[in-house]
Order: sequence, then C-alpha cells, then structure tokens
Amino acid sequence: MEEQFHQEYGPKWSDQRVERMLGALVVGVVALLLAMIVTVFIRAWPSFSHNGLAWFGPGGNVDDQLNAIFLSGQNGLEYVYTFHGWPLIWSTILITGAAAVIGLVCALFVAVFIVEFAPEWMSNVLQPVIRFLASVPTVIYGLIGVVVLVPFIGNHLVTESQKASVAGVISLTGYSLLAATLVLTVMITPLMVSIFSDGLRAVKPGWLEGSLALGVNRWRTTWKIGVRSARPAIVAGTVLAVARAIGEAVMLAMISGSVGFAPNPADGLIFVYEPSRPLAPTIVKNIDQLSSPPANATLFAIAAVLLFSAATFSLTGYFARRAMRKYGAA
Amino acid sequence: MRIKTLAIAAISLLGLAAPASAGAVTLIGSGSVAAQPVLQALFATYHKKVNKKVNFVYTPNGGNAGVKDVQNGTSQFAGQARTPLPSDAGTTYIKMFLDGLCLDVNPKNPLSNITIQQTHDIYRGLVTNWSQVGSSLGTTIDPVGRDTNGGTYNFFLQAVLNNEPPASNVNALTADGLVVNAVKQDPNAIGYAGLAWQKKGLKPLKVNGIPCAPSKISVEPLKYPLSRYLFLVLPGDGSTSPKALLKFVDWARRSKLAGTVIAKAGGVPAFNKK
Repeated sequence: MEEQFHQEYGPKWSDQRVERMLGALVVGVVALLLAMIVTVFIRAWPSFSHNGLAWFGPGGNVDDQLNAIFLSGQNGLEYVYTFHGWPLIWSTILITGAAAVIGLVCALFVAVFIVEFAPEWMSNVLQPVIRFLASVPTVIYGLIGVVVLVPFIGNHLVTESQKASVAGVISLTGYSLLAATLVLTVMITPLMVSIFSDGLRAVKPGWLEGSLALGVNRWRTTWKIGVRSARPAIVAGTVLAVARAIGEAVMLAMISGSVGFAPNPADGLIFVYEPSRPLAPTIVKNIDQLSSPPANATLFAIAAVLLFSAATFSLTGYFARRAMRKYGAA
Repeated sequence: MRIKTLAIAAISLLGLAAPASAGAVTLIGSGSVAAQPVLQALFATYHKKVNKKVNFVYTPNGGNAGVKDVQNGTSQFAGQARTPLPSDAGTTYIKMFLDGLCLDVNPKNPLSNITIQQTHDIYRGLVTNWSQVGSSLGTTIDPVGRDTNGGTYNFFLQAVLNNEPPASNVNALTADGLVVNAVKQDPNAIGYAGLAWQKKGLKPLKVNGIPCAPSKISVEPLKYPLSRYLFLVLPGDGSTSPKALLKFVDWARRSKLAGTVIAKAGGVPAFNKK
C-alpha cells in the first residue's frame, strides 16, 4: 500500500525538497538584486562624492559637462566629474508627472466605465484590447511619435515667431515636452486601466448592493463606494505606471528632443514645445562613453538615481496601500 | 508520456537549428549605421553568389560602439565611418569603399549651395535664419545631427566643426534614418547623411559648389569636400580574424561584382576592378 503511494507520488520528502529548491531560488533572486544595487552604487560613488548635493542642482550646460567628463577619461588627463543634473531631473519630473496625472484621471474614468457602466459585450471587447495595449513594446509608440506626432507639432502647432524667439538656443521642431508627455500617457494609461478595473471588480458586491438598495444612484454608488474601496488598487496601478514611466528610455530618447535643457514654465505657452531630455534616455544616448571611467561613474550615478526613485515609489505605494487597506476590498 | 512530448519538442528544436550549423560560418559584426546599407548589400550578394556557407549578422549600433565591440571581442568586425582615433588601440582599419557625407535640406527649401563655413556657423548656433545663408525661405533653421554614438558624428565634427561641439539647438538623433526622416518632414531642417541615404524627399546641397554625387567622389584627389572612406575594423593586426571573413573583405574590396553592388547600394567603389 505504502509502496504504491510512493511510486505514484514520489518519495515522502518531495515536499521538503520543493520547499528547499524554491527557497534557494528566492534567495538567489534576492542576492542578485542586492548585488545589482550594490554594484550600481559603488560604480556611481565617485560622481556623487565629487559633486555632493550639487549633483542634483542646476548650473551650466549639462551636455557640455557630460562631454568634458567623457573627454577627460579619454585623454588620460585628470578626471573631471563636475555634473549638475537638474535639467535632466526636471525633465523627468515634468514628463513623468504630467503623464501620470493625465493618465490617472483618464484611466480612472475608463476603468469605472468598463466595470460598472459598459454593456457586457463592450467590456468583453475592451478588456483584451486594453491588456494588449499595455503590453505593446514602447519602441512602437516611439516610432509613431517620430513619424506622426513630432512632425505634426513641429509643422502645425509651433509658429515661426515662437521658433525665432528661441533661435540659437534651442530648436522647436516638435521634439518636445508635449510629444513626450502625450506618448508616455498613451503608454502608461492602459496599464493603469487594467489594474484599476481589477481593483474595481474585486469590490464586494454586497457593499454596492447595499448602497443601491438605499436608493443611492449608480454613479454615486460607484464613486463613493466602488472607487473608494478600490483605492489600494488605484495606488498600486499608479505607482507601477509611474515606475515604468520613469525608467522609459528608448521611446523618450526618440521623441523628447535630445538637449539637456530645462524647459521653463515662465516662458509661457511655448514651454510645452521645448525639447528636453530625461534621465533614462541620457544613459541610452551616452552608452558609448562607458569606456571612459568618469563618464562611467556619471552614467551609473544617473542609474542609481533612477533605481532609488523607483524603490522610493514602490515603498510609498506599499505603505499607502497598507494605510488604506482597512477601508478597502483589495 | 510527457517525457515523450518533451523529447519530440527538443528534437524539433534541434532540427530548426541544424541547417545553420551544417559546416556553415556565421560572422558577427556591428557598428556604423552609415555603412549599413552598403554592407548589407555586400553580405547578401556574398552569401547568394559567392559562398552560401557564410552568413552575416550585423547590428548597426554606431561606429564607435562597433569598435568597442571589436575591442572586447563581442564582434568579429565593425563598420566604421571615421578615421582611427587613439582610443581604437588594438584594432586595424581597412578601407572598404568611399562615401560622401551629403548636407540635406527639405525639397521645399529653394537653397542649392552651401559652404563648409556656413554649415559650421549653422551647427555652432551662430546662424539661425535661412535668409542668412541666402535661402529665400526666411524661416528659423532647424539643424539636425547625430548623437555621439555615431562615427558620422565624429566625421562631421572633424570635417565641418573643427572639433568644436555642436550648439544646443542642434537636435541630436540616435540614427541616420531618424535624421533623414526629420529632414523629410520638416521644411526648415538641415541634416547630414551618407550617399546611400539619398532618396526621394531629400535635397542634397552642393557643398562649396560641388554636388554630392558619386561621380565627384572618386579615388584621390577627393573633390567633394565631405568625402570619406568607410572602414571595416578588425581586431589585432587583422591576421587573427577567421579565414572566411578575410576572404570576404578581399572580395568586397577587389572584385568587380562587389564594385557594382557597392555602387548600387549608394557607395562609391574605391579599389574594385572596373
């Protein structure tokens, strides 16, 4: 009897073996992650230690600084590390922030519509479409941006007098904050929608039914009970989307413009047409300079900042979700 | 049962991989985007007409990146669009064919001739309006160029900008194709790209009065001011490379067939038999 059991389900201790193997796998993954973080920060250290907090501040032309850093490593002279990354950081904040806000608002309403209001056949169609959109490779969005959106902005929205007013400093050719923000929004919104709608669907039906039974109308029920109890999912979706947006490199390298310029809201409307370059595309654009030790340190410093902000975001998201869990379903 | 399925799957996978490994050689290269159209044409012809057993994989990641790949052994050869620099230690440059860097504007721009000095001033941000270089367009110039990954960027830097960095209003794009695309779509743009990229929708300017055309870019003396050699970069002194690669290089440089392929793909044959 027992022998037969063993033949069919393997030796007695197979459970423990699985446990150990999976445990080892998890330890391996965590160790790899730690090793990666440590490597990035060790490599980045020279850049941070030479600049201190000025690394994050404004000052001078960041592209000239990057060039000087690179050349100092090529020529065998004393290494130059001076780097003031504010234009890149500001560009990242502007593009990611604007895309996150626009995306959040759109995604919330779309998710509410799909879950609560759309007829069944429609949400059956929309669901897979949105999941597909969330998984489209970002290069494709970049291509569409370069071929359609950028020339449209450059040729139809930007006027000659606007271009002339900044001539010689930057070119308003359509590679702009506006293009980058729009394409990034299109990129992250589907991700948000799919997470938001999962959250809305997980709201206990009893809660909604209770509200409806008291005569509260559908919109108010959805808004006050559904959306409110799905808040942890909304935070989670937003955090995921923002983390993805911050790290987006290839698409933004294609359409944000390539100048280390800090767009100035004081310039008026023209500001949204100004080119800039966020942190992640800077790594892509200068990847060729890794062989120069100071440039290597600077690029790893940028990577460290990205890594740190992604970690901060997921931690904030985690705590926000914990705080809200007592109100919510998810 | 499951094991059987797995075995069948494994065997069929092997079957897919087999044709590639049957006595064939795959040569791995990377580098210049500018040289890509001509190199790809040479690869295809060589594989089809000369030696079916030789396959090529070429990743156009920029000439400077390609040389790095050769230095650290990830590529067996690299395409390169600029002359050797001190940082290329441990590699050998072989002249493959000639190319001209054309200065392009949108066909809507009536300008037909530009000087090296004017181009220098545009890319240094000193001249910002088309009327300043004699074009009746009268609008703001949108200069477009390559980012620092491209050998084309270095060539432009040496040949036009006297090694001064381009101004901040120059939009540095990541590929020659994107530069061409930007000029096609923007009536106010000026950009630079190799002969092979000169297709419909672009207007190559005469530089110092000499048109950017294959007939003006021939073996020395190079009449067109922005003529350049395109190189193949090999590791070491070049003798350690696989025989198949050296044979291909020799064929591409000398044979008549390769000459016609180069010309058709937009390059200018330099050493091939006529």
